[in-house]
Amino acid sequence: MFKHILLPTDGSDLSLRAAKLGIELAKTCGARVYALHVVAPYHTVAYMAEILAATEITYTQDATARAEKYLTEVRHMAEEAGLACSTDYVFDDRPHEAIIKAAREQHCDLAVMASHGWRGLTRLLLGSEVHKVLLESEIPVLVCH
Amino acid sequence: MFKHILLPVDGSGLSLQAADIGIELATSLGARVHALHVLPPFPAATYFAAIAEANETMYIERAIAGAERVLAEVRQRAQASGVSSEGSYVIDNRPDCAITVAVGKYQCDLIAMATHGWRGIERLLLGSVTQAVLQAASVPVLVCR
Repeated sequence: MFKHILLPTDGSDLSLRAAKLGIELAKTCGARVYALHVVAPYHTVAYMAEILAATEITYTQDATARAEKYLTEVRHMAEEAGLACSTDYVFDDRPHEAIIKAAREQHCDLAVMASHGWRGLTRLLLGSEVHKVLLESEIPVLVCH
Repeated sequence: MFKHILLPVDGSGLSLQAADIGIELATSLGARVHALHVLPPFPAATYFAAIAEANETMYIERAIAGAERVLAEVRQRAQASGVSSEGSYVIDNRPDCAITVAVGKYQCDLIAMATHGWRGIERLLLGSVTQAVLQAASVPVLVCR
């Protein structure tokens, strides 16, 4: 069935739970997994550029460190399950586009993600990123709660 | 992993494609499937009740015949893949409610459905039923395009 499962994670508990389910499914199907973390780029404003330039470096360093941390967590889960797992993070304003692009480039045939991440209101609304991924995705998406 | 997959089908080509993916997944996981078709009730107007009554019987007969056709189609596909399958239809004007109720009733642990059915506008919007199910479901939902 599925051969390469994309696990987009924003580091929230829900996204890690979704990743866990994706890993379990991958194990049963004999699939590989690909964990992706999308980092929002630092938005610079036109004035106070010098101050902002300094903060941007800190921001990027922090964001990269966080990305590594989340991805390591997923990699550990995959290793425990004995799965081949590659990970990556990208800077993108629009996470859903980065997710869809990664699915295409990595030839994934399934994406497993949480119904909402950090930003979604608990269960009241479907997370906006999930919604957008569902609309544009070329592959099936397994939405977990 | 998943043991019993609910396949809500409205008879549209997309819903049957989603059922196919659900069946294929069931094959590789050794799961059973349950196909569900939800019929909207006859919108009886309060006046002209007598005429409406006669039409309602006809409407229901036709709708049930349609439901059985759709369910037979899914059963056939499941049988072809060697997956144990059941099917049922319910009359409900809120398909999403009927679907979430069925999850509990048949103890399904996954729902596989299309991004939209007959009513959805081609990929521009997520089908309203799918969206409502995503918000209300207690189990993961595999959304297929």
